[in-house]
Amino acid sequence: MGDIIEMNGIVKIFPPNLVALDDVSVTFREGEIHAIVGENGAGKTTLMKILYGMQPADSGEIILRGEKVKFSDPGEAIASGIGMVHQEILLIPEYSVWENVVLGNEPVKFLDHLDSKKAREQVKAKIKEFHFNLDPDTKVADISVAARQKVEILKLLFRNVSVLIMDEPTSVLTPQEIPQLFSELKRLRDNGHTIMFISHHLDEVLDLSDRITVLRKGKKIGTIEAREATKTGLAQMMVGRKVIFESIRKAQKPGDILFEISNLNYTDADKKPRLQNIHLQVRAGEIVGIAGVEGNGQLELVNVIMGLIEPQSGTISAMGQDVIPQSILEKRKKIAFVSQDRGNMSACLPARITENVIMTHHRLNPRFTSLGGKVLNFKQANQFTLEVQEIFDVQMTSGETLFRSLSGGNQQKVILGRELLLDAPFILLDQPTRGLDVGSIEYVHKQITTMRSKQRGILLISADLEELFRLTDRLIVMHRGRIVADLVTDKTNITEVGYLMLEGMTYEA
Amino acid sequence: MKIVIGLINGMLTAATPILLAALGGSMTYYAGIFNIAMEGMMLSGAFFAVLGSYYFHSWLVGILFAILGAILMALIFVLFAVVLKMDEFITGIGLNLLSLGLTTYMLRQIFKVKGAFSSLEIVPIPKIDIPLIKDIPIIGDVISGQNLIVYLTVLAVIIVHYLVFKTRFGLRLRAAGYNRTCLDTSGVSANRIRIISLLICGILCGLAGAFLSLGYVTVFTEGMSAGKGWISLAAVILVSGSPKGIALISLLFGFTDGLGLFMQRTMPPQFTSMVPYIATLIALFVYSIRLKKKQKIIGA
Repeated sequence: MGDIIEMNGIVKIFPPNLVALDDVSVTFREGEIHAIVGENGAGKTTLMKILYGMQPADSGEIILRGEKVKFSDPGEAIASGIGMVHQEILLIPEYSVWENVVLGNEPVKFLDHLDSKKAREQVKAKIKEFHFNLDPDTKVADISVAARQKVEILKLLFRNVSVLIMDEPTSVLTPQEIPQLFSELKRLRDNGHTIMFISHHLDEVLDLSDRITVLRKGKKIGTIEAREATKTGLAQMMVGRKVIFESIRKAQKPGDILFEISNLNYTDADKKPRLQNIHLQVRAGEIVGIAGVEGNGQLELVNVIMGLIEPQSGTISAMGQDVIPQSILEKRKKIAFVSQDRGNMSACLPARITENVIMTHHRLNPRFTSLGGKVLNFKQANQFTLEVQEIFDVQMTSGETLFRSLSGGNQQKVILGRELLLDAPFILLDQPTRGLDVGSIEYVHKQITTMRSKQRGILLISADLEELFRLTDRLIVMHRGRIVADLVTDKTNITEVGYLMLEGMTYEA
Repeated sequence: MKIVIGLINGMLTAATPILLAALGGSMTYYAGIFNIAMEGMMLSGAFFAVLGSYYFHSWLVGILFAILGAILMALIFVLFAVVLKMDEFITGIGLNLLSLGLTTYMLRQIFKVKGAFSSLEIVPIPKIDIPLIKDIPIIGDVISGQNLIVYLTVLAVIIVHYLVFKTRFGLRLRAAGYNRTCLDTSGVSANRIRIISLLICGILCGLAGAFLSLGYVTVFTEGMSAGKGWISLAAVILVSGSPKGIALISLLFGFTDGLGLFMQRTMPPQFTSMVPYIATLIALFVYSIRLKKKQKIIGA
């Protein structure tokens, strides 16, 4: 296979002085799946946005099929056969699948009349050609995230794109949906499409790609053949030092019961039982993990604990008090909480970093207010932001910048910093490392185990089994709203838990 | 019978400018622009209609001037809200105030009068008699003999509906309203769509203005749009932009307006002129109850 795209000496500087890409040169071969890996902020997405014409490079050149090109907007890139599927899915939920696919490339009859019959036929043909399991007439609002992603890919294929850039496509998928995406991507490659795949999940990268380019802090570390690569080797290239994947717990005797749920039941508005007869305990100095396929009651459990939905029966007690009737502020004195929904529940994206850092603290800690809680003390708040930045190693310019300007990993570090410094005895973590890179995950894990040694009780909900096995003392498996197993982590294994997650019972041969 | 015909004709007269402006608002509503400047565009249209008709002794030039005058306002909106990315609401308020001040100023500077300018040299927009139909009793009195703009308005309802729901432009227009970034990444400039929708809004508001000052009267008075642009905005929001819904609401408003005039025979005019606004409030109330019921069925 010949080379299709050469990117030579790409430099990108974000004013005033952030060097996002420092003289990066990558060559892509026709018909390969080429993974671009690196930590958050390594410049993966920036590199691809430059190729796609979304951002101009400060210097360097792009050579497409032997000719020098420069795209000033994505439209030009698409016309040259390069398409990009973004991390956040950009579709119109109110439109049907076919309307979304043809938007911008619509067939018309006289008087600009949309030829919907022809459009549907064309979309149907494309769906058939690529074996996508989609109905052109369903509204996008009614289909799953995985299906929406397919619509995005289809939209590009409809424009006869031969180079597909996928920006962290698996970050929005559930673990069950990933294999299907991968087999579709592989089929596209076998049809001669070139795929660039941005990711920081090393297992995925090794599974899917043919070659791997590693970026670190804006510099290219190297391009290697995937079959010659190992997970530890890649991680070391990404982070620049050795990363340990083994369990990091030290033996420690758990203390008193801090948090207890008993006989909890929740039925939703559609009369569907979402949580049934939940019993669980978390002791001081203990990390309890909740494993389960997404949608088996984990979200409802979190929402019930935090008081976002009201259970029909049962009690939840923290520090010996029933917290269900208590106000959110009272709950927050006992429960630190990291939501899986960073942008909506954990933080206020358009607010400044400092404002996000002192949320809840400003009600609980008199240090941040004066005049009896009426006026915020920004001197103390700024000081606190610096403390969080220091302790949690947040990459940011100043607390005055907007929270949204931080990368995902740094956003999560700020949130973790805020929650863990609340001094609440019980910590509820819902997917705390989702979307983070290896280095950040390692860091977050370290912080969680530090909290354990400080005798906090931690309930960790995660879709990542490796994470659970690395951190937890006990593992609770949820299946269809019930707890089907309460296991000691050291006495079980991934296969057993995986089976319990899928089947809801122990495998019996 | 005469009363009924009078009421219907009164309804059409009152509904026409609101309907036209609301159709313009519908275009910008679908494009996702919070456009409250119909009032200002309409007023500017009304002034320039008189200006054109007076100096060129032609109602056609009057209509052209009206459209240009309203488009001038739309272009200012484009400059501030689309190009300079200022807040649409503030731009709209500024535009409405500018239009009021500008037309009043020009009225005094150009025509050297205060309050109102009327002259025999202003040529009104003609009424159209439809042959055959005009001879049918009752129906002929309603369907035939209306002002040209009234017929254009009926046409405009159909055209706007077609444009929004049946054409490629409409698909892109609504896409701009739903998700601008999505449209941009599909290779269509959302800003271009937004600008076109504002210009169409300008044209329709210009026609509305021309109807005000060259329709049944030939006069320009200061602030003669008198809140009709705001009512059209209410109509747009009430029916979420639907051109058919807008037509219905405008007719309802026109009907109550005519009813108010009719009631003046027995009641003080200050009271009867409240009727349309009370009707609007009642419509809002009914609508909100219906919406609540709907939501309950969905089970939200």
